[in-house]
Amino acid sequence: MSLSRVVATAWRENLLFSVLLELTYRCNLDCFFCYNDLALKGEPLSREQYFRLLADLREMEVMNLTLSGGEPLAHPDFLALGARARELGFVVRVKSNGHALRGELARRVRDEIDPFLIEVSLHGATAATHDRQTRVPGSFDRLLANLRELRDLGLRVKLNSTLTRWNEGEIEGMLDLADSLGLPLQVDPEVTPRDDGDREPLQVAPSREGVLRLFRLQFARGRAAEEGAPEVQVARGGDDGTVPTPVHKHCGAGSSGIAIDPFGNVYPCVQWRRPVGNLHQQGIGEIWRGSAGLAEVRELTVQVKERIGAEGPGSHLLNFCPGSAAAHAGSPLALYPAAVQRREALEQVMEEERKTLLPVVR
Amino acid sequence: MIAITPATVLRRRSDVRYRRIEGEAVVLRQSAAEVLVLNEVGASVLDLADGERSVGEWIDALAEEYEGNSITLARDVLAFAAELAEAGLLEPVAGRSEP
Repeated sequence: MSLSRVVATAWRENLLFSVLLELTYRCNLDCFFCYNDLALKGEPLSREQYFRLLADLREMEVMNLTLSGGEPLAHPDFLALGARARELGFVVRVKSNGHALRGELARRVRDEIDPFLIEVSLHGATAATHDRQTRVPGSFDRLLANLRELRDLGLRVKLNSTLTRWNEGEIEGMLDLADSLGLPLQVDPEVTPRDDGDREPLQVAPSREGVLRLFRLQFARGRAAEEGAPEVQVARGGDDGTVPTPVHKHCGAGSSGIAIDPFGNVYPCVQWRRPVGNLHQQGIGEIWRGSAGLAEVRELTVQVKERIGAEGPGSHLLNFCPGSAAAHAGSPLALYPAAVQRREALEQVMEEERKTLLPVVR
Repeated sequence: MIAITPATVLRRRSDVRYRRIEGEAVVLRQSAAEVLVLNEVGASVLDLADGERSVGEWIDALAEEYEGNSITLARDVLAFAAELAEAGLLEPVAGRSEP
């Protein structure tokens, strides 16, 4: 059985495979376009509840566990939870801003958690841009020093960047910076509203020219990669072939994956903020098997597949996300501007590529 | 190729993570970022590779679980254990393998 068939099986049979834990919304940076709902209130899950959750997830054969936030390292039990996750054999990923990942703490993360991957946010190629987005002076210089330290410690690190109007002119510089650090960089061309619906982050959504620039660079790098140069990875940049197409669902939201916020609210995906249960009231197994909300989400992913398929041959270029659709347009089935812009930009760049590669006939 | 005998004691390498999905094992070797999918017997072998039991004890356990020719089973398990060790999923436990 290949991995894609395993993923397809998980989607089809509703086998929970990947869980993202937002441990806390506390953060030592203050990114302008952060999607977290910082006003969300509730009783945070206790250490004991997290330990129970991890044991339940192990029992359910969940493989991937992502520790996120806010800044996950700001949670007082971060190391203890990470260590327990390692002990239980999860593939642990940490999504961090990297600001505190240095010195003794970085060593303890390596030795006690042994994460498969640490995903760190890079906001620009210059201190001016990066610090403008994080709203913490000095965060860029500190991040670069920390990244070198993480690399020297042997930790596997990937850089993530959200394309914004503020950094879209520095994409080449960010890629050069990532190359100089020997780290992969993945760029997400989509800024989303906050989880409470606040649309303020969209003020820095990338321009059409910025998205075009990113995709042109992706194609150019793809060609160069054939000669050994590093590629640029684009999140939501079009179907990359890893999604198992024979499945009747559009994605694994609520079918193979979930996200859990600091207060125990369970969502089908980090992007799709539609609560389907709460761990203060029910265990994760009970929610997974019995939540009416999850059943609706699974049905919706079937409808999304049909809805997007009806868009025709270029529908995969939308890289449609029902969670984004719900946030942008109020319905998980609605086409939203960022997806349409992505398809148009990709179609244009692919057409440019075709012309470039066509033989000249005299 | 690592020589494996029924007395050999093997354990999963520390960077190996795996889960059972529908009877099969999805395996990630973290250091190489490699994903493998093993069949049901492979998944059972990973379960058994605890650094305590010898390969001979695996064969006995698997013979109880799966019907069939025990000689063939022993040969297959020895070969499979060697393959998994070669693939970097299993390692011998120093001082535990009997001569």
